[in-house]
Amino acid sequence: MKRLTLCFCLLTLTLLSSGLAAQENIITFPQKRMRLITAFDLIEEQGGYAVAYNEELININRKVAPPKEKNIEDIFKSLLKGTGMEAQISDRMVLIVPVNRDAEDVLPWYHTHNMIEESVIVGYGSMNRKDISSAVEVFRPEEIRGGASQSVEMVMQGRMAGVNVRSSSGSVGSRSRVSIRGIGSLTAGNEPLYVVDGIPISNTTADAGGWDGEQLNALSDINPDDIESVQILKDAASAAIYGSRATNGVVLITTKKGLRGAPRVNLDAKCSLSYIPSLHKLKVADADLYLKVQNEAIDNYNRQTGESVAHIVNPYPERGYFSWTDLVLRTAVSWKASASVSGGTDKVRYYISANARNNQGVIIGSKAEKYGVRANVEANIKRWLSVGVNINANYNYTHHVPNGNMGTSMLTHSLEHRPWDRPYREDGTYTIKDVDLLHYNLLQALYEQEAFNRNYRAIGNAFVQINFIDGLSLRSSVGGDFIYSEDYVYYGSKHMYGNSVGKLTDARKAYTSIVTDNVLSYRKSWKCRLDLDAMIGHSLSTDASSTASQTGQGFPSDDFNVNSVAAEYIDVTSGRTSWSMQSFIFRTTLKYNGRYLLTVSARADGTSKFASKNRYGFFPSVSGGWIISQEPFWKDSRTEMKIRASVGSTGNQGGIGAYAWMPLANGGYNYLNESGIAFMTKGNKKLKWEKATQYNLGVDASFFEGRFTTTVELFRKDTRDLLYNKPISATSGFTNEICNIGAMRNDGIELTLGSNISSGEFRWQGGFNISFISNRLTALIADEVLTTGSYHALKVGEEVGSFYMIKMLGIYQSDDEVPAEQYAQGVRAGDVKYEDVNGDGDIDTVNDSQFVGSANPLFTGGLSSRFTWKGFDLSFLLSFSYGNKIYQTWTGGLRLGNGLWPSQESEALARWTGPGTSNSVPRAIYGMTWNSTKFISTRYLHDGSYLRCRSLSLGYTLPSYAVRRIGFNELKVYFSADNLFILSPYRYIDPEVTTSLNATKYGTDCMWLPEPRTFSFGIKARF
Amino acid sequence: MKRPLLILCIVMLSAGCGKYLEKYPHNGVPRENITMEDAELLVTGMYNIAQYKPTFNGWALFDLIGGDIIRTGATNVNTARLMVEGAIDPDKSIVTTPWNGYFAGLYQINSVLEIIESMPDSQRRKEMLGTCHFFRGLYYYNLVTRWRNVPIIKGPGGENQVQAEEASVWEFVAEEFRKSYLLSADFSSKNYVSKEAASALLARTYLAMGRKGDAAALAEGLIDGQLFSLADFSSIFRGKTNAEEIFTFANLIQESSVNLSSYYYTKDSGVGGAYNFMPTAEAMNMYSESDMRKEVSVAMQGSNPVLNKYCGGDAGRDPIYIVRLAEMYLISAECLGLEGGGLERLNELRRFRGLEDVNPSDEEAFLDAVLQERRLELFGEGFRWYDLVRTGKYTSTVGVDAKYTVLPIPARELSLNGNLHQHLLWQAKNAI
Repeated sequence: MKRLTLCFCLLTLTLLSSGLAAQENIITFPQKRMRLITAFDLIEEQGGYAVAYNEELININRKVAPPKEKNIEDIFKSLLKGTGMEAQISDRMVLIVPVNRDAEDVLPWYHTHNMIEESVIVGYGSMNRKDISSAVEVFRPEEIRGGASQSVEMVMQGRMAGVNVRSSSGSVGSRSRVSIRGIGSLTAGNEPLYVVDGIPISNTTADAGGWDGEQLNALSDINPDDIESVQILKDAASAAIYGSRATNGVVLITTKKGLRGAPRVNLDAKCSLSYIPSLHKLKVADADLYLKVQNEAIDNYNRQTGESVAHIVNPYPERGYFSWTDLVLRTAVSWKASASVSGGTDKVRYYISANARNNQGVIIGSKAEKYGVRANVEANIKRWLSVGVNINANYNYTHHVPNGNMGTSMLTHSLEHRPWDRPYREDGTYTIKDVDLLHYNLLQALYEQEAFNRNYRAIGNAFVQINFIDGLSLRSSVGGDFIYSEDYVYYGSKHMYGNSVGKLTDARKAYTSIVTDNVLSYRKSWKCRLDLDAMIGHSLSTDASSTASQTGQGFPSDDFNVNSVAAEYIDVTSGRTSWSMQSFIFRTTLKYNGRYLLTVSARADGTSKFASKNRYGFFPSVSGGWIISQEPFWKDSRTEMKIRASVGSTGNQGGIGAYAWMPLANGGYNYLNESGIAFMTKGNKKLKWEKATQYNLGVDASFFEGRFTTTVELFRKDTRDLLYNKPISATSGFTNEICNIGAMRNDGIELTLGSNISSGEFRWQGGFNISFISNRLTALIADEVLTTGSYHALKVGEEVGSFYMIKMLGIYQSDDEVPAEQYAQGVRAGDVKYEDVNGDGDIDTVNDSQFVGSANPLFTGGLSSRFTWKGFDLSFLLSFSYGNKIYQTWTGGLRLGNGLWPSQESEALARWTGPGTSNSVPRAIYGMTWNSTKFISTRYLHDGSYLRCRSLSLGYTLPSYAVRRIGFNELKVYFSADNLFILSPYRYIDPEVTTSLNATKYGTDCMWLPEPRTFSFGIKARF
Repeated sequence: MKRPLLILCIVMLSAGCGKYLEKYPHNGVPRENITMEDAELLVTGMYNIAQYKPTFNGWALFDLIGGDIIRTGATNVNTARLMVEGAIDPDKSIVTTPWNGYFAGLYQINSVLEIIESMPDSQRRKEMLGTCHFFRGLYYYNLVTRWRNVPIIKGPGGENQVQAEEASVWEFVAEEFRKSYLLSADFSSKNYVSKEAASALLARTYLAMGRKGDAAALAEGLIDGQLFSLADFSSIFRGKTNAEEIFTFANLIQESSVNLSSYYYTKDSGVGGAYNFMPTAEAMNMYSESDMRKEVSVAMQGSNPVLNKYCGGDAGRDPIYIVRLAEMYLISAECLGLEGGGLERLNELRRFRGLEDVNPSDEEAFLDAVLQERRLELFGEGFRWYDLVRTGKYTSTVGVDAKYTVLPIPARELSLNGNLHQHLLWQAKNAI
């Protein structure tokens, strides 16, 4: 059987309605009866068509008479007469299918047998994957079933080479960091651009700014079940079409569309249980051990100083062990249900869906409820006119529990209570920080607050497409992303933040983004085997947001909880910002002889974020490809190979404010209720685009008729004029200045392997990807070290995200080893020995800090497999990361006598108690900060490499004869486990959490909630 | 039929030009649009900046490391020495946030000064200039007492500043207060800068500079004047009208983030409090029973000792007291000395506060008595550390190394500005 590859585009309207543009084709057939396959070959050769068929449904060796017709549709009608089959033709693609069968029934067969290759959405259009000469990754969530993925970036996790996804924490609805091909920028604008059905959407926080804890993930509004495909534009040649926002890559999300056929209904329901694994790693020392360490610390101090600090005694010796962690954590129960109906006729196709999700968090009270509906409708009104709308509306309710860096953050602070501390006094009232407790009472924090976010979001677009003449069409679309968000944070009078009188912050945010696109495209094939696909376009976009927030305090009782009854308003703010962009877009693709590819694209963007002189940026790209396996000399028809190379330019304006360039006199600096203004915004009139030039070299190959595939990519990305909020000497009046300060380089290699092997009823689809990315700064203001935050620094030649701190060498085993300078400060045997870089005997951060590793991995990747046999399917996904360091910023349980902090049991047991007892954990010493809080040091820096089992899923599809009897076409049950295990040298639970998503401050763990382990049971049905 | 669509398309393509990319903020105006007509707004803004930029760490520092305050809670250490050693380091926020705040404030003051200087002469212009010089003096007083040799910056901006000698910084501070004294309006409200406020701070500056005669004369002028008189702590520190405060930042809740009370008060206060710092046992016991200042200065909330001068709790804000008349009594006493008749001023104040007279035998004992009185009178108002430092008693009183008599320049500044040099006391002794 001859294997064909043809493009099947789900997005382009014209596809499945056969023969939209009647074309005259001159195909010369020999004047004698021939085999059907011979006729197909002639059509492919002469007409430039690709024909796909299922040999099981049609006898390709049957003899047919040469068609006399000129029209391609009629040619196929003639060829297929009497076979019960018909041709679905679009552009140069022909699908031979049984008459009147639903496309949706037919397609999967072609997919699974590699008979058709999907088209790739490339921004303002689509291309046959074969014709792509840039680096684009495609992933279809449908290929994995089940799983706990809450949002689109979690779907991508571990699946694609060069795409690294890490969540900030395991809190419900928390944000994650997606980096495509390393670090794109120094600013917070390091996230890719997300485009849903052509509309760039906001991926910043979903909340309105009233909540101090972790921000909410704005991407969770997209229901993963609605996603048809996720495509990542990795290199500049593919991404340059999105110009000034594309430096960090572009994630194109295409939602499902209806196909011709009777209505089909998909139902999906799932129930999950989640909990935090490996909590024993965080065990707090019991009362005996705590007192032993604490009093040993005091003894050491007294012996050394001659003072006589008294021992600590247990005020409640009768109390047993008590875990605050167990008190606030739970096994969370979540469920999700979604339904969709899709179908269509030649004229109208629709996909409508609704979903409800209820996610419980593992902390008591934590919860997110999500409801969403979607309608994607497209209609071919005339032969030359088609229209469509995609509308997605969502409502999210998130019930907050203290998290993130809040003083009441649950997991962190559950480790900071002494073994005898309890949440309630004997009279039933709360125990209180500093009166009964060392830290906040977590139950008081949980029960005396009411904090939630309500988020309303609509994403939609409408388009009209006009086909003027054959191949020339105009597509005009308008799209919008609308967010309305409401934060409500009420601290009752008994809450620690309630100021004893009750305090309410009520905040609102409205965000509107409107994009208008007009794209004119032209396709033409010449007989000289030249194919042209060109487009020019124009785009206007405006983002506007407004915020309003009031904080009132003083409520008659906790039953009153709106600000209209507050005794006073301590903060009332409102804000407005907007920015806009105008773009001109151009792209053309030329294909010669089916094997030489050339794509040229360019985009010019103008943005309001810069002063008028620096407003416009130009982002060109060019890429070429050579399909070697199409060459006559290529003899092995079972192997295909393509080589491609590209170079292009992209820009970045993310992470900077809408008016960042403008030096301002700001209002609101009032005194005694009179208005005042102050020069608070430094601005920078020279501010301009951050630009990147990317080079990409790739090879795609498939072996044994597509059973094995491999892609190797090499890339280099040079970013210059980095936008950065540069630290400047405070004597200037400002501590930072936004500017374009330097350059960096990312080099990388990506390898992707795939397999798709069937044998009888057994099938194996495997995937493996690995990417090595190295980053380094190639220029900065000067060669000096520029510290960013407390733990990291930037320096030319070093990686962005490098840790910069004092290096711990070990523990002084005897007093003799201690240099005099340090001895004078009280350092003795058992204390930490730091590296004295400048050799002055003393340790200080200015002179003794050094680069000690990076938060970025040397390589990352994933390994997945899916096995199907009869009705069973088993799949798993492993992801791994190697060489990334993580800094433990939470030092509470590691202070060993510096303050009254309870100890981590592991640390207390491992402490130095005499020569030779430890070379990593210091002695207990009262009141001295040397070992724990005086320096940022490698004592808390750990190897964060890991291998994680992201998901393991087992499903069973009931036999169709059985389910048809009860009215279903398909019924599948599955069981899945997410985050089943993690292998890591990291001593705490999750090396992936990070308190900062900023590339320059990345890889810090402050005992935020780790990712939970989740077990799910689900059922999928179709009828 | 198709032609109109093409035209529409062209119209849409060209629609984007023009003003589409011009966007301006709503909470500010471009700096170049500011003129002398905005002077009043700028001066009001300067008050706002001046009161909050030093942050709690700035206003409270001299108490936090003065030996009478220690940390509470999990980071508790029970000696002032450990408190100081743990708190002062070139990276610690107690050092860095005030440094950043003072220079941010100075930038504002210098910018405003530049604009006002360009105005035509008028009485109001003079007064506004007086306000600018007052704040610049106040900020430099705070800088020089902490870091000694700091850069003197007289205009907006400046990154690679060079440090000036300590003596010239002191001269600059005195000069600023003298200018302010000559230009400022007469006293009308404690919340605004006045001639009298400038003269009080000039007295404080002269005391630090050792110009005792000048200091005493200025202090006496204020004591003898009709405007101010001593008042009870229960009115000064509980928001009641009194004639003792000479200059106090209003520090209204909507206008400032400096919340002194929260750091000292506990949750048992009834108004909330984060309770980060508490008086030492010694400080709790330093007031005698008859001392009328005692109740307002220190108290017990539940089982916790607290500094009681700021009573707003989490829910409120307290004024930031910059200078009041009692300090003038103490400056005068100290400068006149035992021989010069200073004892009478000291005892006058003591009598007013409900205490017996003291009768020190010699100048040294007299200085100790004045310092003890300053400790009692000004506890929690930002004096103690520098009082001990300027009289050379800090290391012996608190028991710390000599380097703690000056703050280290923040590490960040040293790395960003090669012209700055760390204070010798903060350099390792055997540095290469």
